[in-house]
Amino acid sequence: MFEIEILTKKDFKDSRGERVLSDICGLGVTNVTKAEYSQLYVVDGDINLSETEMIASELLVDKVTESYIIRKCCAEYCSEVILKSSDAKENDRLNSNFSVIEVWYKKGVTDTVSESVVKAVEDLGIVKEIKVKTGYKYYLYGKISRTILLNTIATKLLANTLIQECKVHCLADKKA
Amino acid sequence: MKCTSKCKTIRILSLCDEQLIRLSRKNVLSLSLEEMKVIQSYFKKLKRDPTDIEIETIAQTWSEHCKHKTLTGIIEYTEEESGKKTKKTYNNLLKETVFKASVELNKPWCLSVFKDNAGIIEFDSENGVAFKVETHNHPSALEPYGGSATGIGGVIRDILGVGLGAKPLANTDVFCFGDPDMEVSKVPEGVHHPKRIMRGVVSGVRDYGNRMGIPTVNGAICFDDGYMSNPLVYCGTMGIIPKNKIDKKVESGDLVLVVGGKTGRDGIHGATFSSIQLDKESDVSAVQIGNPIIEKKVLDTMLKARDLNLYRAVTDCGAGGLSSAIGELGEKTGAVVYLDKVPLKYDGLCPWEIWISEAQERMVFAVPPKNIDKVIEIFEEEDVEAVCIGEFTDDKKLTLVYDNDVIASMDMEFLHNGVPKPTRRAFYKVKKEKVQKPVKMNSFEISNSLISLLADLNVCSKEWIVRQYDHEVQGQTVIKPLQGCNIEVSGPGDAAVIFPYTVIKDTKKCIVLSNGLNPQYGKKNPYKMAASAIEESLRNAVAVGADIRKMAILDNFCWGSPNDLEVLGSLVRATKACYDMSKAFEVPFISGKDSLHNEYSINEKKYSIPPVLLISAIGVIENVENTVTMPFKKGGNKVFVLGVTRNELGGSVFSKVKNIEDGVVPGVYPRESKDMMEKIYSAISENLIEACHDCSEGGIAVAVSEMAFSANKGVKIDIDAIKIYSCLEEEFRSDNSEMTPAEILFSESNGRFIIEIKPDNEEKFKKILDGSVFSEIGYIRDDKKVIFESRKNNIRVQQSSEFLLNSWRNTINW
Repeated sequence: MFEIEILTKKDFKDSRGERVLSDICGLGVTNVTKAEYSQLYVVDGDINLSETEMIASELLVDKVTESYIIRKCCAEYCSEVILKSSDAKENDRLNSNFSVIEVWYKKGVTDTVSESVVKAVEDLGIVKEIKVKTGYKYYLYGKISRTILLNTIATKLLANTLIQECKVHCLADKKA
Repeated sequence: MKCTSKCKTIRILSLCDEQLIRLSRKNVLSLSLEEMKVIQSYFKKLKRDPTDIEIETIAQTWSEHCKHKTLTGIIEYTEEESGKKTKKTYNNLLKETVFKASVELNKPWCLSVFKDNAGIIEFDSENGVAFKVETHNHPSALEPYGGSATGIGGVIRDILGVGLGAKPLANTDVFCFGDPDMEVSKVPEGVHHPKRIMRGVVSGVRDYGNRMGIPTVNGAICFDDGYMSNPLVYCGTMGIIPKNKIDKKVESGDLVLVVGGKTGRDGIHGATFSSIQLDKESDVSAVQIGNPIIEKKVLDTMLKARDLNLYRAVTDCGAGGLSSAIGELGEKTGAVVYLDKVPLKYDGLCPWEIWISEAQERMVFAVPPKNIDKVIEIFEEEDVEAVCIGEFTDDKKLTLVYDNDVIASMDMEFLHNGVPKPTRRAFYKVKKEKVQKPVKMNSFEISNSLISLLADLNVCSKEWIVRQYDHEVQGQTVIKPLQGCNIEVSGPGDAAVIFPYTVIKDTKKCIVLSNGLNPQYGKKNPYKMAASAIEESLRNAVAVGADIRKMAILDNFCWGSPNDLEVLGSLVRATKACYDMSKAFEVPFISGKDSLHNEYSINEKKYSIPPVLLISAIGVIENVENTVTMPFKKGGNKVFVLGVTRNELGGSVFSKVKNIEDGVVPGVYPRESKDMMEKIYSAISENLIEACHDCSEGGIAVAVSEMAFSANKGVKIDIDAIKIYSCLEEEFRSDNSEMTPAEILFSESNGRFIIEIKPDNEEKFKKILDGSVFSEIGYIRDDKKVIFESRKNNIRVQQSSEFLLNSWRNTINW
């Protein structure tokens, strides 16, 4: 199982990240200094790294404005180790100070993007039984408590807890 | 009857009243005690208990969403005016008001009225135009993106499911939200912030509509704190259909073909869910998620099959899913359905879940057996799943089979006509409206008020939304939602015009779509609110060139709980206005929908929405060349106001901004208004009008400003030349001393238009208008100065059109 992350290249405008930052300020949370947005795809099935890289590079990424990162995953955990990356500069992110909120659909909720990806992978010539799960990832820079991340930013802005669930990685927790 | 491990027997034969009610609540059936007792009695006659799937089928078929029990039920109505009470009993409110008007008008060009998935009027000798507007309020409150996307997806399927299928040409959307700038701490627990709801709803409609390749051409947005917990999301679609494809008839032996998306657990109990109030524990499974790519493929393929006459009937899977769709198609014949043949998204669904799931993008067809292979081939060529799941019978029974076991067997007659008519009581006290104290303002105050009004959420530019929608796709949008010099300088169009030249070769005819919505009036006077919405929708259409003699309207009532006497009383008043206005304007209703129970409960206290009636209008214009837009065109041309200005500030934007409590809500005067609309049509047909804009929110001052700044021009208006009528007196007065300049400029009297005329055309124009109230009030200037002047009152308001434009543009600029 692999996770593909699609990020906006550093030299391009991350308009969704900027909008999220503006909305966070609108919630009255003022200590987030920067927000970045990326899309996540977990591809599960009898699939190898080179096929996953083909899916990332030929299907999911806009090569002009976006880059991708591929990580190894298991059911509950995704490794921080990057197996492949289209842009080495992106690896710097691992050293930055940020908190992360990941948003995923709850089990049973229709994920139309994943349905399209499964179909498109087949059209790419990779005829294998695969499952795809999609999500979003937000990198939030600044000093933010877990409570604010979870109770305010995640639930009041980024995820609808009725159909989505969040994973929160708080920088403050890491430092503690 | 056999129950499998996936199908349970529901023991109701021996239940007492209290247990019946508990069962209804526990299973989210939204059935009343009376209804539960009728079900109990039916199964007593059958000498057996029902299965879970039978109970669920009845609940879906009898839901408020599907049966409109309030509007078609018995209402004992009491009205009190000046201490005197009058009583009237309605046996079917809808039939005795809205529908009655259409029957009495009996327009031969109305081809399908209140009997199919959409209303249809004649376009030309060979084609009809179908129009439907739906609400998707409760799902949008819980999941704004998914709720609104499936709202537009659903109404598109209504157009695909009218007759044997119409081709969608345009979408419309109208929303009501809470204040997007509301402090976060004031938003109740469990409710999304209004800004989040608005963003989600707009994105949902945008993504679904754009991906379907259907332009979103017309709409409106209203903001009021009353919609904070219960946003209103109206979605509409218009399509074109050959006249010989309007009738459908299922025959015994036809096969039941389900086409499109797979079935999952999404949208379970959507139909019954819409009959209950929201609270923070509302159910996740009621949320539906749409996939426009599948629906687009269904659209393209089914029209191909339609044109080859391969099927006899079609309908969409909306509320109640397969249960409602097959139940509806098989009402006169009967049907047997093999639920284990339904394509599923995943394993583990119980039969009743398969049957009532509201998974999206599914259509049901009745196909003669000889055509089934050809139909399936057409769908499969485009990778659309099409599976035969049963057949229509001649036993007038609904039979459901799962794993070779019969798990439901009910009479169609009981299912469709067995629901008892509820009797409700309604009360309305007519309140006397009072003219406000004279609003005396100096030039500076009037100027500031104008700027505040232009920036008000209910007046300001909705460009942020409009530009997200593709209103050009299909290349047939002639009159667009924003009009003006360029992308930076534009104003709000009154109505959209679609010229369907790619579908109907060599036609000159076009289709106009508009709407009317006045929730603020409804808080004070629901009758006038409904009448104003009807008049406004027609006025908007006439402003671009429509002929009201070839127009029809749709109603969409969004109200609070009908269990509240006064809430229901206000609904009765509104339906009465619908009858009166439809008859007076001779414009029939062709379709409609109601969404009741729009209330939210916080700490056991109930909050109801301000009641609102959306009127959507559709018409056919004979010649697309005879249409006009609202921006001023040329310096030196004359400006006229048509219609009477009355002292009507009740419920106006000006009253809200200035905190004025009193005021008379704008009334509708159909005789003078209808006559004026017909004369404007004549003038536009003779190319005598350069620009036309209706006066609505913000009155003459806002309408004139919009016409000027969208053209980057100036205008000088003589306030003293505007003809007024004092509400307190019977006779029309040309002397406007009864109203102050601010009242004249900001009054929201109905029936008025601002018109631009070339000096050369003035004489011909006046001849057409002979006998009506109108006056020349100014002229267009090239110097970009917008001036309102009253010498009598020593008033001179002057602003640059650019400044006014920016005031209008900058409120919603996210």
